[in-house]
Amino acid sequence: MNCIITVELGTYGIWVFVYDLDGNVIGSMKGRYPTFHAQPDYSEQDPEQIFITTLYVLKNILNEYVHPRKYKVASICFCGSMHSVLAVDMKGNPLGHAITWADNRAKQEAQELRNSTMGRKLYEETGTPIHPMSPLVKIAWIRDRDEERFKLTSKFLSIKSYIIHQLTGEYMIDYSIASATGLLNIHKVDWEDDALAYSGITAEQLVPVVPVFAAVGKLKKAYQQSLGLQPDTKILIGSSDGCLATLGDGIMKGEQKASITIEDSGAVRVIGPTVLKDKQMRFFNYLLTDNFYISGGPTNNGGNIFEWFTRHFGEFISQFDMEQSMQKLLEEAANVSPGSDGLLFMPYLLGERAPIWNANARGAYFGLNINHERKHFIRATIEGILYEIYSIGKALGEHRSIESLSVNGSFGTIPFCSQLIADIFNKPVQVRQQFHSVSFGAYLLSATEMGIYKSLDDVSTKPAEFSNVFKPNRQHHGIYADYFRIFEKLTTKLSDEFEAIGNLQQKYAHPSKIHINEKP
Amino acid sequence: MNQFVLQYGKSVELLLFPHILELGMKKNGSIQPDSFPVTTAEGLRIYHITEGRFEWHINQQLYVFYPGDVALIMPGIALGAENNILAIGSYIWIQVTVQKLDNGHIQPGEWSALSDAEATAIGKILCLNNLPALSRFSEVCNIIKSIYTELIGMEVAYQTRINQHIDELLIQVARKVTRQTRSPRDFPQAFTDLEVLLRQDLSHQWTVEEMAGLVGMGTTLFTEKVKSYSGFSPISYLINIRISEAIRLLKRTDVTVTDIALDTGFYSSQHFSTTFKKLTGYRPSEFRKNHLRNIK
Repeated sequence: MNCIITVELGTYGIWVFVYDLDGNVIGSMKGRYPTFHAQPDYSEQDPEQIFITTLYVLKNILNEYVHPRKYKVASICFCGSMHSVLAVDMKGNPLGHAITWADNRAKQEAQELRNSTMGRKLYEETGTPIHPMSPLVKIAWIRDRDEERFKLTSKFLSIKSYIIHQLTGEYMIDYSIASATGLLNIHKVDWEDDALAYSGITAEQLVPVVPVFAAVGKLKKAYQQSLGLQPDTKILIGSSDGCLATLGDGIMKGEQKASITIEDSGAVRVIGPTVLKDKQMRFFNYLLTDNFYISGGPTNNGGNIFEWFTRHFGEFISQFDMEQSMQKLLEEAANVSPGSDGLLFMPYLLGERAPIWNANARGAYFGLNINHERKHFIRATIEGILYEIYSIGKALGEHRSIESLSVNGSFGTIPFCSQLIADIFNKPVQVRQQFHSVSFGAYLLSATEMGIYKSLDDVSTKPAEFSNVFKPNRQHHGIYADYFRIFEKLTTKLSDEFEAIGNLQQKYAHPSKIHINEKP
Repeated sequence: MNQFVLQYGKSVELLLFPHILELGMKKNGSIQPDSFPVTTAEGLRIYHITEGRFEWHINQQLYVFYPGDVALIMPGIALGAENNILAIGSYIWIQVTVQKLDNGHIQPGEWSALSDAEATAIGKILCLNNLPALSRFSEVCNIIKSIYTELIGMEVAYQTRINQHIDELLIQVARKVTRQTRSPRDFPQAFTDLEVLLRQDLSHQWTVEEMAGLVGMGTTLFTEKVKSYSGFSPISYLINIRISEAIRLLKRTDVTVTDIALDTGFYSSQHFSTTFKKLTGYRPSEFRKNHLRNIK
């Protein structure tokens, strides 16, 4: 019996799934690796630790689910998070840690480029919004502010390319991850000269771009032996988490449907044969294949904001039990009427990407009156996070007509949140329980590569009875629509004040350790 | 309670307690020049403020102490007051000897009934967090007073009781440091902090008890939390960090495999080799050779 393994190299760790050829999950395992913040704007990960974690989890899952049941692994398909940069020297040794998508060190470079003519041109050519997340500006930052590292760098890789190189000895990058570097011309599918010139590198310092179905050669012998895999096990380069979540969600080309992911952060995405040309540069256009674009907008503020709220205002019955106190907060929120009796929350605690692309944006509660209680804050916080998701969806609606939604991610699939999304959007919401869209997307890629499906146009998703459908409540929608108008206005109106408070926060920032324990 | 000072070597009360270097209570009613010059001490000093407001420099940083606060001064660290003048007020204090380990960490001496692992954990918590100011911490005052009462009373088994009180003091202080350093609500943050500490001292033979202690949890809950959060048992997680660092070092040619084994916390190069091969399929030396060959 054949099986397919998918490996997701995510923001917080690795998640490996074993599927049978029909797409049923045989088993899954997770392994976490940390993100280091040596400075407030820095987000880095240790490439060797990611590699070892990958080997460890692969080995464990093979020994638990695959070898004892005599499955033969047909292919291992990789999926990576976007926008990471890892500099390696001539020997292929990492020069420092990998810089992840969440790293903000190049914020100044990004802001200057975004406001320039070149910025607009690069956005149109590469499909990647001009933002500190983009490897384009990260590499420019290294060139200007870390000359030593820049000089020693032979290649700039993504984390996934590094892991695949460790396993197989081959350097490659797939369409999807490459199209999220800000360096790839998504129309010609080749490195863009203007972008290379901006970053100060040559195409030789990047690695060959291959389709998401490409096989990357064989596992090194030692790994074949230690993992117990056959030499003919296919290693598929795969795609990015964002693209695969959308594919795995069963969003078809040409269908009037959008996919919403809300984990810690979130995104609203559509699939199409063409790119979205947005004058305000609000959306990304990433490549899945030559004729599949995944377009949409990301938000910084998703489930992590509700976690923040829980940490500070939730009740903790036992130490560190975040889930239990979140559950209690959700129960309390359900006892407040839709619209939180007029309390609005703007969730921009981490600045914001789509649709406003304003790193200075900050959070606020608005409309407080004397009758508001703690429980109103809870519900308003959740509603605020979802209004922001809606503002991305609404902007996407200017380009594509969206009739229904599919929701995935740990925060989005909380039934209370899924229902709120249906009500706020006034569209039916489909949710699959116990379902991991990213991995399923990677399974679909592998299965298509094996010929089980003719093409990605042909991929069928799991039967409909697995779906929960949340139908919009019209009356509630009316209430949310009224409040959303104020939410949207505040976001634009406060732009100057966001900047002013952001500057003051920086100016009067406390050092990380406060040395005088002064009391009031 | 009146003022008192007991010092080992001078006060007969401390004859049986060489690890209690000093114990005292000070009530200061007037401002005098040179009343609180800068001092360093070989023992661990713990002050509890009972009245007044003191501005003290600890390791050249200024801290302000109010009634209820505790100043925690590690061995060899300088303590002094603004202009060397002791402000009006009162405090109670104790100085105990602790063993200094090679890596700079401290550990209570043989008088302590703490287990080795727990003692190491407490030592690490105190050293690594570097938190000299603990607020609202009146337990310290009560414990020091009890030690004094036992010393004066000399009732049956007072020696044991006093050593128990000192253990209790160290436990309370370590817990307070942990609580004041990190929120008990944020396991991800606590775990990240722990990882940083592990990496800073990878050659140390970490035990689960020590790691749990640093996060401020009991061993069972800690193991369960780490497993569900990271997917690994604490020891497996630690081994992964060790191997990751070893891979980094193997790719450089200027460190021997034996040194790498010890630097990354393996008992021996044999232990390193077996663990490394189990995970990667290569012996460390093969991995290095293979890596160098691939470059050419």
